[in-house]
Amino acid sequence: MQAEFFVMLDTNRYIELMAPAGNFESLQAAIDNGADSVYFGVEQLNMRAVSSINFVLEDIPEIVARCAPKGIRTYITLNTIVYDHDMNMVKNIVGEAKKHGITAIIAADHAVIAYARSIGMEVHISTQVNVTNVETVKFYALFADTVVLSRELSLNQIKKITDAIEKEQIKGPSGKLVEIEIFGHGALCMAVSGKCYLSLHTHNSSANRGACRQNCRKKYTVTDEDGIQLEIDNEYIMSPQDLCTIDFLDKVLDAGVSVLKIEGRGRAADYVATTIKCYREAIDAYKEDTYSKEKVENWMERLATVYNRGFWSGYYLGQELGEWTKDHPGSHATRKKLFVGTGEHYFTKAGIAQFKLEAFDIKIGDKMLITGPTTGVKEFDIDKLMVNDIFADQAVKGDQVTIPLDFKIRKSDKLYKLVEA
Amino acid sequence: MVIITLQRDKCIGCNYCAELDPEHFRMSKKDGKSNLLHSVDKKGFHTVRVPHDFVFEQVEIAANACPVRIIKVSKI
Repeated sequence: MQAEFFVMLDTNRYIELMAPAGNFESLQAAIDNGADSVYFGVEQLNMRAVSSINFVLEDIPEIVARCAPKGIRTYITLNTIVYDHDMNMVKNIVGEAKKHGITAIIAADHAVIAYARSIGMEVHISTQVNVTNVETVKFYALFADTVVLSRELSLNQIKKITDAIEKEQIKGPSGKLVEIEIFGHGALCMAVSGKCYLSLHTHNSSANRGACRQNCRKKYTVTDEDGIQLEIDNEYIMSPQDLCTIDFLDKVLDAGVSVLKIEGRGRAADYVATTIKCYREAIDAYKEDTYSKEKVENWMERLATVYNRGFWSGYYLGQELGEWTKDHPGSHATRKKLFVGTGEHYFTKAGIAQFKLEAFDIKIGDKMLITGPTTGVKEFDIDKLMVNDIFADQAVKGDQVTIPLDFKIRKSDKLYKLVEA
Repeated sequence: MVIITLQRDKCIGCNYCAELDPEHFRMSKKDGKSNLLHSVDKKGFHTVRVPHDFVFEQVEIAANACPVRIIKVSKI
C-alpha cells in the first residue's frame, strides 16, 4: 500500500492578504489597515467595469507610488472575456503596468495571458478560469505564478491541490512553487463564479464583460402558467449570502492557501478598512498561534458593522447549498453611515480640523467616520466641538464646525456619522 | 433630422451597437470602445446629426441594446 503523502505546513510561511481597491479611498484604506497586496481594475476590461469607478491608465503611477515603498504588491484585474477590438487596450494596460512596476496581471483570457507573458509580465490566473484540479494548475503553471482556485471547491479539495503542488514541485515561470489563492470574504455569485448569463438575458448586459446587473440580488415571486402565484418563504431565492471565513480561517490556511483575497471592489472604503483590519489580525493570530474563539467573536462583530448580506461559509466546508439572503436585500450591516458634511481645512499646528455640516446634526460623543482619496478611512469619537469658533455640545446642518483631530483632513474628505442600523 | 449622442467614456466595449447599427457605430481598435462615426466630441458627449429620418429605427435598436445606456437618439 502506498503511504499517503502528507505535507507539514509551516504556519510561519508567507501568507498574503489581498485587498480590493475600487478607488483611491479604498486603496488608501487597504494600505493603512495592513493589506499585503491590492487588486484593482483599470479602464473597462475587468469584472467590475460598471459597479465601481475604475482607475484609468494615468492613475497607475500614483497607485504604484503609494504601494511600492511599503512593499505592497499591486495587481491589475484584466479578466473579462476579450474581443479582437479589445486587444490594443489589453496591450496598453499590460504595457503601462509593466512600465510602472505593477506586480502582476490577473487574467482569464488566453490572449491576455499570452501577451503579458510575451513582455515578461507576471500573470495570475483569475477565478474566472474556474480552476478546479491539479492538472489544470499544472497547465497554467506554464504561464502563471499564482492561481486563484474556483470558489466552489471544498477545503479538502484545495488541500489536495496544494499538497500536489508541493509533491510534484509544480513551479511557475519565476521558478518558485505555484501559489494558490482563494477568496476569503465577500460576495458570492449564484452561478459558477461569474459565468452567469442572467444579466445578459434581461439587460443585454454581460456579467462576463464586467456589467452584471445583479438579477440574483432581487426579490422574486413565482407565478405558474395559470397566473397563480406560489408562496415562497424566502423571496431572495437566488441571492447567496456573503462569504466569511474568519471563523474557520485556521482550517483555510491549513489547506495550504498562500493568498487570501477579499472581494469588494464595488464596496465602500470603510468596508475595505474594517475587513482588511480583521483579516490582518486573524492571519497574524494564526501565525502567532493565538487564534481563539474569543478573537473570532470580536472579528465577527466588527465585520458585521460594514456592508454584508449576512454571512455563510461558502462551499469550503462541503456542499452547504441554500444559504440565501434573508429578510431584505442589500446590506445587513449592523451600523450605517450618514453623510453629514465635507472637509474644509486642517490647522496643522493646532491639530484642528474644520468641516462644513451639510446634513443632519452632530454632537459630543458621536462616532464619526472620514473617507477621502488621500485620507483613506479614519474613525473617531467627538470629544470636543466648536461651532463658529465657540465651544458647543452639538452642531446643526449649515454650521461650520472645528474638531481637534490628530490626523490631517482634506477638502476631498467626506464626514459621516455612524449610527446603528 | 436624427440626432445621435454617445457618452463614450462610459462605454464597456460590448460591441452591441456596432453589431446592430454598423452604419453609425464602429469599435475602436485604439481603446476598444465604440466610435460614433462622424461625430463631434463636446465634453465627452459625441454627437452627430443625420439628415435622414429613416435611420432612426436602426439607431434606436442599438440604443436599446446598449447595456450601459449611453446612446441617445432623437428625431427633430
